[in-house]
Amino acid sequence: MPIYLYIDRGTFVHRLHPTVKVFALFVMFWSVYWVDNPIALLPVGLVMLWIAQLTDSWPNFYRLRWLFVILVFTTTLAWMVFYRRGAVLVNVPVFHISRLSLVFGLGRGIKLAELLAASVLFLSTTKIEEFTYGLQRMRVPYRVSFAISLSFRLVPLFIDSAVTIVDAQRLRGYDFNQGGPLERVRRYVPVVIPVFMGALRKANNMAMALEARGFGFSHEPTTFVEYPVTVTDIIAFAFLIGLGTMNFMLYWTGLGGIGPLK
Amino acid sequence: MKTDAPISSVTPGLHAVWVDGVTFTYHGADRPALRAVSLVQNAGEMIGVMGASGAGKSTLAKCLNRIVPEFEDGEFSGTITIAGEPLNHLRVCDLAPKVGMVFQDFESQLFSTNVAHEVAFAMEQVGMDRAEMDRRIMPALEAVGLRGFEHRDPMSLSGGEKQRLAIASVLALRPSLIVLDEPTTDLDPEGRAEVFALIARLRAQGLSLIVIEHESEELRAADRIIVLREGEIAANGPPFQVFARTELLTACGVRPPGLGHALELLGIDAQPKSVEQAYDAIVRAYPRVVGTVYENIAKSRVHEEPAPTATPDAIASHAFIGIENVSFSYVGGPRVLDSIDLKVEPGEFVAIVGQNGSGKTTLAKQIVGLLQPAAGRVTIDGKDRAQMRPAETAREVAYVFQNPDHQIFAATVEEEVAFGPRNFGLPDDEIRRRCDEALEAVGLQNERQSDPFLLSKGERQRLAVASVLVLRPRMLILDEPTTGLDHREQLRMMALVRDLNRAGIAIVIITHTPWLVAEYARRVVLLRKGARIFDGGVREFFMQDELLRSSSFRAPEITELSRRFGTLALTTDEFVAWVKGRA
Repeated sequence: MPIYLYIDRGTFVHRLHPTVKVFALFVMFWSVYWVDNPIALLPVGLVMLWIAQLTDSWPNFYRLRWLFVILVFTTTLAWMVFYRRGAVLVNVPVFHISRLSLVFGLGRGIKLAELLAASVLFLSTTKIEEFTYGLQRMRVPYRVSFAISLSFRLVPLFIDSAVTIVDAQRLRGYDFNQGGPLERVRRYVPVVIPVFMGALRKANNMAMALEARGFGFSHEPTTFVEYPVTVTDIIAFAFLIGLGTMNFMLYWTGLGGIGPLK
Repeated sequence: MKTDAPISSVTPGLHAVWVDGVTFTYHGADRPALRAVSLVQNAGEMIGVMGASGAGKSTLAKCLNRIVPEFEDGEFSGTITIAGEPLNHLRVCDLAPKVGMVFQDFESQLFSTNVAHEVAFAMEQVGMDRAEMDRRIMPALEAVGLRGFEHRDPMSLSGGEKQRLAIASVLALRPSLIVLDEPTTDLDPEGRAEVFALIARLRAQGLSLIVIEHESEELRAADRIIVLREGEIAANGPPFQVFARTELLTACGVRPPGLGHALELLGIDAQPKSVEQAYDAIVRAYPRVVGTVYENIAKSRVHEEPAPTATPDAIASHAFIGIENVSFSYVGGPRVLDSIDLKVEPGEFVAIVGQNGSGKTTLAKQIVGLLQPAAGRVTIDGKDRAQMRPAETAREVAYVFQNPDHQIFAATVEEEVAFGPRNFGLPDDEIRRRCDEALEAVGLQNERQSDPFLLSKGERQRLAVASVLVLRPRMLILDEPTTGLDHREQLRMMALVRDLNRAGIAIVIITHTPWLVAEYARRVVLLRKGARIFDGGVREFFMQDELLRSSSFRAPEITELSRRFGTLALTTDEFVAWVKGRA
């Protein structure tokens, strides 16, 4: 079973200059940050759907489908508890179900889902080496950019290890689903400790292997792959500037808030 | 010049490696991991380093590129020179162009998203220009047999391919020395064969190599063998000399080569490099054994198979485990199990073998309920497993994962073992009684209050067994129970498994180790691409030349040797008794 998200499809999005891809991730986050209204979040969402279709990233979205559903659903519900504005539509204990709280909660849920979707698209189309290179070009020091990009590669490994550990403890009769929410969190101690110990061991092994291959050598590292800037990169860059500006304008004009739906 | 010469009389500049009086004590340790170790390696020489766990093998390897003492806290003294340059002032990364290091854990040494990038990684780090990298990548991949793999994701490669890729990535820097620290421990027989074939090619090209390895057969081609014991060199010489010292090897936790040991027991003074040489030596010493009419072992020796060790009344009329037409695929992946049928009776000892990816672990997970079949069903003692929760299954069938560290979390050994019965809500006195029983069974009764994380790998593996044994299952599945253990620990682990089987517990082991199958199992199930392609007795299995070859599984050398004489012995003792009986 593949544990990494990168899908080698060779589309023009895959071939974009790494700096443009890192910038695109930033613009997606920026665009989502400024708007709250579900309708105002639509343009960014549509752009992401278009990119997902172009890059054939659907298998990754399918793998994470439940995470998207849970994210939108639980966030909407949670905000209906805490966001107590607007006329109540239905009386339900604890919840404040109004048009305003529904729109606000749904908007927050979609925001989080779009942030996740932007990350999934980025990782589906960007190699670790490109990520490092892109960050470097944005003046992030090599060691820091390498560490950031490597951590993306490590997370799936740790998840894989955590799944095995959960299996091992379940086979010793351990029930992770007993008790209330706090008790359930506490019950993950028999997983957290082996994952943590394993992560430390792996990190140590990796650090040794990295240095043994010259990481930290006195010379500035070179790059094996050349990334020429093409016309497509310039068009993509201009498009991203436009998208980011548009979303900021939505905020600036108030159209991106939940006000118009009041 | 060999290490027998006084080290002070040797000129370091003439040698690939020159180690003089190296002592290293890890921070907090009560004794040195290396004690005044001195050795010299000529350019182009291949040295095999052996010894029990904790003997200092990896510490010695890590000294050669300064991981010790740069990464490990401790006290270091002595001098190491590589190709004439003393290392004292150098950092680990500075040594990358000189010393290539390949580690056991191949997952931790691959950082890139495609094979070509992986090979380029080290060259990028040392600031090589793009044109030079381009010139070096293909020859490096060619050398390890991975040409054509340039665009593959390293994570999609097999274990053997990953390890060869790791070697290619150090080869690209053209170091004068390559150190391989147990490079094949986690590989299947095919992967092992690939890596050792590559090592032989590199040696033929004149590279200086240091290979740390547990299996003595694999190091017979080395120029020299160094055996470490408690941080000191216990033996250092050509393989034929070192491997002839069976007693010393055993005392050092090293498994003597089966062929040499057999000849020694037959009173023949020779250290054969191959089955053919061993055959010739025996024929010269025992001419009467030749000409024995070939016996159809599969037929004639079936009656000699050890009888089932479970008590007869424990053998139920129906199978304990029933796997009926089970198929399974992971999401979006190919079929991993393909219409498998299998039965395991109470008290059996079954070895499941097959290449990596053949479906062994997936099959085991189907039995214990960690995975659900896409088609077919699994029964445990006649009950449909799909109707049982994993916790219920755990009381019938226990599963010991390959890596014991996947379950250890408690502060003491006793708490770790008590974790299972506590989950089932057993009373305290019952838990205590069961813990005593389980710890006694695995020989950890004196470690009750020890921190599990401070135990050796072998002890942690036995602790993992104790922590499922405490649930008193009727069957135990062990996934690669001897991986990463030295010979002494392997024997101890397998003695424990055999004792449990004799006590009536059915055993299923998933393994790649031929001698382990030969010496302990009584039935073999061979899987290939998710299908069961052999299911029968151990002797019958080792008679299937074509099947073994096509599955990249090898009979133990002693079995191969015995077959040259027209018989089939599974152990050295059995073969020696056969020869003596006909002499």
